[in-house]
This record gives sequence, structure tokens and C-alpha cells, in this order.
Amino acid sequence: MLERVLNEVGDMSRRAVRSPVTFSLLFAFALAAAIVAVTGGDPLAAGGEMFTGAVTGSGLRNTLGRSVPIIGMALAVSIAFRSGIINLGGEGQMVIGGLAGTIVAIYVPGPGYVIVPLAMLAGAVVGAVWGLLPAYGQTWLRLPILITSLLLNYVARAITGYLVRFQLLDDAVTLTSTRQVPETARMPKMPIFGGVSLSLILVIVLVALLWMVYARSVAGYESQMTGFNMRSARYGGIDVEQRTVQVMVVAGAIGGLIGTHLIIGEALRFIDGELVLAGFAWTGLLVSLLAVNRPIPIFITGMFFSALQIGGLAMQRNAGVSWRLSQVLQAVVIVAVACRLAIRRGERPSTEVSDAESAAVGEV
Amino acid sequence: MTFELELRGITKRYPGVLANDAVDLAVRPAEIHAIVGENGAGKTTLMSLLYGLFPPDEGEIFIRGERVEFSSALDAIAAGLGMVHQSFKLFPTLSVAENVVFRQEPRRRGLIDRSAGVARVSDLADRYGLAVDPEAAVEDLPVGVLQRVEILKALYRDAQVLILDEPTAVLTPQERDQLFEVIRRLREAGRTIIFITHKLGEVMAISDRVTVLRNGRAVADLVTAETDPAEITLHMTGRAVDLDRRAPEHQPDQAVLEVENLTVLGGHGRAVVKDASFQVRSGEIVGIAGVAGNGQSELIEALCGLTEADTGAVTLSGTDITMADVAGRRAAGLAYIPEDRYGVGTIRQASVSENLLIGHHREETVQRRGWFDRGAVARLTRRLVEVFDIKAGSVAGPVSTLSGGNLQKVVVAREMEHGTPLLIAEQPTRGLDIGAIEFVHSQLIRYRDQGGAVLMVSAELSEILALSTRILVMFEGSIVATLDPRTVDEPEIGLYMTGAHLEAAVA
Repeated sequence: MLERVLNEVGDMSRRAVRSPVTFSLLFAFALAAAIVAVTGGDPLAAGGEMFTGAVTGSGLRNTLGRSVPIIGMALAVSIAFRSGIINLGGEGQMVIGGLAGTIVAIYVPGPGYVIVPLAMLAGAVVGAVWGLLPAYGQTWLRLPILITSLLLNYVARAITGYLVRFQLLDDAVTLTSTRQVPETARMPKMPIFGGVSLSLILVIVLVALLWMVYARSVAGYESQMTGFNMRSARYGGIDVEQRTVQVMVVAGAIGGLIGTHLIIGEALRFIDGELVLAGFAWTGLLVSLLAVNRPIPIFITGMFFSALQIGGLAMQRNAGVSWRLSQVLQAVVIVAVACRLAIRRGERPSTEVSDAESAAVGEV
Repeated sequence: MTFELELRGITKRYPGVLANDAVDLAVRPAEIHAIVGENGAGKTTLMSLLYGLFPPDEGEIFIRGERVEFSSALDAIAAGLGMVHQSFKLFPTLSVAENVVFRQEPRRRGLIDRSAGVARVSDLADRYGLAVDPEAAVEDLPVGVLQRVEILKALYRDAQVLILDEPTAVLTPQERDQLFEVIRRLREAGRTIIFITHKLGEVMAISDRVTVLRNGRAVADLVTAETDPAEITLHMTGRAVDLDRRAPEHQPDQAVLEVENLTVLGGHGRAVVKDASFQVRSGEIVGIAGVAGNGQSELIEALCGLTEADTGAVTLSGTDITMADVAGRRAAGLAYIPEDRYGVGTIRQASVSENLLIGHHREETVQRRGWFDRGAVARLTRRLVEVFDIKAGSVAGPVSTLSGGNLQKVVVAREMEHGTPLLIAEQPTRGLDIGAIEFVHSQLIRYRDQGGAVLMVSAELSEILALSTRILVMFEGSIVATLDPRTVDEPEIGLYMTGAHLEAAVA
């Protein structure tokens, strides 16, 4: 078991050197450095601030903290992508699940060790239901998940907005917000690096669990095969519709967990519209694409993106370079990876032995 | 003497595979030189190296005595080579002439001279008997004509050596004869033709010399007039193959599959399978003959649960499976070798091992409570690879690196492993070479002899005649005849396949 993990890690590091991601990172950093230099800054100093700001002191704590929603939402979207389902509803699943978890945390009395898990469970269940809607829309009514899941994000925002405004409003503050989550119902912090949310453990467990599921389980195999080729999967007796529903339930549940964590572990109040501002669902989507939907690379990539964002803020504070530069970095990495992948796809056929199509490239 | 084209010691290695191993090839001017070999023997790799698509690891290429090195197909074209690929590289919306002159358009005052292009293309076409309308849009043309357009492209670029990669695979018999006529005219005009194929009949019919590849090596260089198919086969496979084997007598037993009045509606509510009723009994192979597109595929998909039938009943081993889904039908005792082994039968991105597992992945032997027993999966994979002699670099490697024959072995091995009462085999040998065809046939016969019921669809009449216990002929969605292979011949089946018997009955 351990040996296999080590093998996998070794194999991955070998591939990493040659991977388009490595190239893209180098390219992105070079470009960012050039931008800083051209605008009269000191690229080395800015880079240094970014690095130290992301991995030292409170920076490390913030990086670890922010990685939770990024990695979590990336995992949620990755399992859908692996089955060939384009689930763009992560945001809605996160928001509506998050509110459900918040309601439990605020209004259900009891000790923390009961309420916190109960709140997470509530978030997961409601997120799952929100994932179920587009899944049934596709399997029963042939409505594409791509469209319905995206549009349901706005419905989720509207519902939570209504509830917060008219049912759960805390009159004591000027925010459009629920009451604060009581002390006892908050996600505990671990006494490391100055207090990192316990949710990080949850995310690590999720990564390990998903890795196991795809490496070992029938469900993971069926999902992956369906994502590769739906016709073959159906031919092999896989119930593609049933898998679609299951995948959307799990994806929605993870979204709901992350939404709940963001309130009872971070914000402590559900402020209307606040959850979507940071764009975790979309950052997660990019992370998943970059990591080709694999759990362990998602963990690494998500951590990196988190460091980039936290480091960007530190760079702005200490080197006077706008934090938006880290957004530029993110964007360049993604574009460069996309380009490299496209180029590779073009090269590939000519290196395959028996492919009769091999002659396709280089034709006049 | 000076060869038109000579390859010396060409070697190309891929990870785990020696695709070409010190291949020598000598082609004389104005000859038709056939290159034969089983799938995976290295024919396509050799031609890709010759055409400059990628460089050989070792070896030299000479054209008319001069050593050449190509870094791209453009170099090869400049040196007078022309290649006609298996799949055509044409712009569907452009005309024939536009496709032919593309990138070398005749110009007048710097602008493309369309009428000169049309004139030159029509000139070339006339000279070599390539009947093509230069102004027709390519998307409207049948496959046989598209191939002529590809040949025109090469001739327009003044190719002295024309490489045709399995050119007859997509042609009807009539189109094939026309192609051979064109090839002979090209030879008379002094051009050299390299003809890649694995069909021995074509080698004998058209070629002057033949080079045989086996496992990446050139094992024989023969003069066609001095050899025969048996000798070539021996070189190709390394053993003698019985080319025309009739199935041994076998007494069919009770019905395994019963189909009653099955009707399947296609687009626009048109019946693509009409009121089909038949049985398949254990210990027999029922062959369905028919011209492609007469409802065979739809019938099989309906039987397997991939599409819904509209009316009728299907019973498998006594269980009514009319409403069952694929998994339910498989559980009731059906395995299926699909027609499309690339798009359905295998999953390109998955490994050999994962592909062998499709349909077995829920069996008690390989999993417990949803978690795979990795050892059991590995044993299953290893056994199938060994028993069916699947040549794969690694079972963990992607299935897409396998040759067509080995890919089909993956499908056949996996489906036969189910050991179900009924096996449906759709075009089980299409595109395979002799060795692989022989293998698949022997497996189907073994299945039958062990008491299995086999329903086979094939476009190859010789295959239908050789294997079937009974023959059903489909025409426009209906089963129009049930024939006994011992008493019919190909022309008679052909009459039913084309509906000619109906006209005869009316008259």
C-alpha cells in the first residue's frame, strides 16, 4: 500500500518535469517578472515577498486555510468531469448547502461535537439535493446538466438571498446577514501554524478517499469509463443514468460541505452574496482542469493556487505590487497549459505505432 | 541496375515494440510492388518513415540511386513521392479541382486561376482514366471517387512513386476493378506504384513483385508470377493457414434466443427492422447476411438493449428480456462483440487491462462489496492475454497502441470469457488480416462446439458461408430468406441481399 503510494508519487514527479504544467509555470513566472520590471518594480523583491508572504508566519496559516475551499470545490467538480458531466453548479451547491449548514449551526442547540457534524451533514444533504436537480433534469427530461447546473446557481443565490433578507436577518448589524454562528457551533481550529481549520483534515481525507475510489473501486472504474466513452460504458452494462445521478449527489454534497465550512469555520455569518465573491467554485474548476481531475495533483495545484493568492496579498502590502498580478499569473498558467495540451494533441498521432491515421499530420 | 526506390536496413523502435527491424525494400521503375503483412507487421510505419512523417532510427533511403533524408512530407513530395492514405484528407466543401491544386494553384497576375486549375485537373483525369467531375463538391462524392481525387492530388504534384495504403478497404468490387485499371495505366505511363494490402487476391491480381513483412521484418521479396497465395501466406504468418474451411457438422440443440415479430423504428418513424422473427439454438451459428445498412446493426442493437424495440418480444434462455437494459440482458446470458471495435468495443483512453474488465467488473470473482480485488483483476487480465495471445507492450498501457487485430482480440477475449449461452458477433473480422481472421473463426467455432449459440452478422459472404449453420438474409429491414449454407452459393445469396428475388417473384 505504502509502496504503491510511493511509486505513484515517484512516477508523478518524473512526469511533472516533462509535464506542460512545469513549462507553463516557468513561462507564467517569467512573464509576471517582466511585467513587474517593465512597470518599474523589482521582480525579485516582489517574488520574494510573494513567497515569504505565502509560506511563512500567518501567511502559511492563510494559505492552508484558503486551500480548503479551493481544493474542496476542485474535488467536487473533478468527479463530475471524470464521468464526462459538465457540472457548473458548484457555486449554487456550495451556497445553498452553506446556508443550510449555517441554519443548523445557529438554531439547533447542543454541544459542539454534535452540532458541527450535524451542520456539515445538513450542508452536504442540501448541496446534494441541489446537485440532484440538474441530474434528474438530464436523465428524465434530457436537459443538459451544463445549462441547468449553471442556471441553478442564480436560483440558489436568489433563494438564499430571500431567506437571509426576510427570514434569518440579524437586525443587530447593518449587514444583510444571518446571526453569528454561536461559539460552540464553530468548526474547531487545530493548534498548528497559529490555528488551521479542522476542515483541512476533512479535505485531506476526501483526497485520499477519492484516490482510493478511482484506483480501486467499481464505482470509480464505472465513472471513469463512462467519462472516457459513454457508448462503451453503456455497452458494457454500466447504468450511465444512475452513475450520473450518484456523481451529482456526491459533487453537490462536497459543495455543501465546503459552503458550510466557509461559514462555520471562517466567515461565521452568512452574508448575502458574500460566499460567491471569492469565486472558489471557479478557481476550483480551473484547478481541476489543470490537475486533469486527479485527486493528488488537485491537492498540490490547489495548495499552489492558494499560496499564489495569499502571496499576492502580501506582495501588495510589502512590495507595492498589485495583488492582481497573482491573478495574471493564474490566468497565464491556465492559458499556457491549454496551449501546450493543444499542441501535444496535434503531435501525438505521428508517434503511435499502429495508427493508420498517423499520416494525417504533415500532409500538404 | 538502379532502383526507383530503395530502403536499406530501416529500423524504427517504439517503447516496447520494434516496429521495423532492418527492413530492406527494393522497388524497380514502373512496377507495381505490393507490400503485404498482417496488421501490426509494420507496413504503415514503414510507409510513414518513407514519406518523411518521422525519421527512422537506423537505415537509409535511396531514390533513383541517390541517398535522401526527409524531414517532412513536403521533402518526400518534392522528391517525387505521393501517398494516398486510408482515410482521405480532403476539404469537403471545396470542389475536386480546388482540393487537387490546393497550395499549388495555377496563377494569373498573382491571383488564383480557377479555370486553368479545372482544365489541368480534367486533363490529368482523362489521361489516366480517373473519371471525376473536377467541379463537383467533394462532400457529394462517394468514397471510390474521393480516392481518385487523392490519386489526382499526388499526380498533380508529379509523383513518380505512388504509395497506396490499403486502397481497396473502402471500395466496392466494381470500384476496386476501376482502381486496378487506373493503376495499370499509371504503370504504362512509367510511374511506380507501391500497393499496401493484406488481401492476397489483390496481390495476385495486380502486383509485379511482392515484399512480405512479418513482425517488423521483411521476410520475403517475391516475383508475383512465380509465387502463389499459399507461399505468401506462409511468409506472412510463419505457418500454413487453411484459407477455406467449412464448419464441421454439428447438431443444434434447444433454442437459446427467440425473437418474435421484432420491429424497430428509426428516424422519422420509419421501420428499420420489420417484423423479424427467428431463433438461435445452442450449438449453432446463425449468420445474418445483407448489404450494410439493411437493418442488421439496428437489429443487433435492439437485441443487446442499446436501442429500444417498438414491438415484438425477445426471449433469452427462457427469460423475457424484451424490456431489460444492457446489464439485465448481459446477466440473462448474452455477450456481444460489437461492429465498432474502436468506438464501442474498446475505450481508447483506458488501459488494456481496464478494457478487458468491461462487463466483468461487477462479477463476484473480481470485486467484493464494490472494491476490486486487484490480484483477481490481474489474474483475469493475464489469463486472457495469454489464452488469446494478445500482443501488448504492457497491460497497463493504453489500448490505443494495439494493432487492429490485437484490439479485436481484446474484445473477443473479453466477451467469450463471459461464457454466456448466446454470443452476438457483429462483423467480427472486418479489417483484420488472415491470421487474426483465422483466430476469430476458430474461436467462434469453439464457442459453438461447446454448446454456445452464436448470432453473427457479416458483410463477408465467404465468412457467412464458411461458419454458418443457417443463413438469414436481411433486406430493407426484413428477414427475406433463411438459407442452408450447404445448398446455396454466393450469387444466390446476393440475389436475396439486393432484393432481386422480389422483382423476380413479381415478374
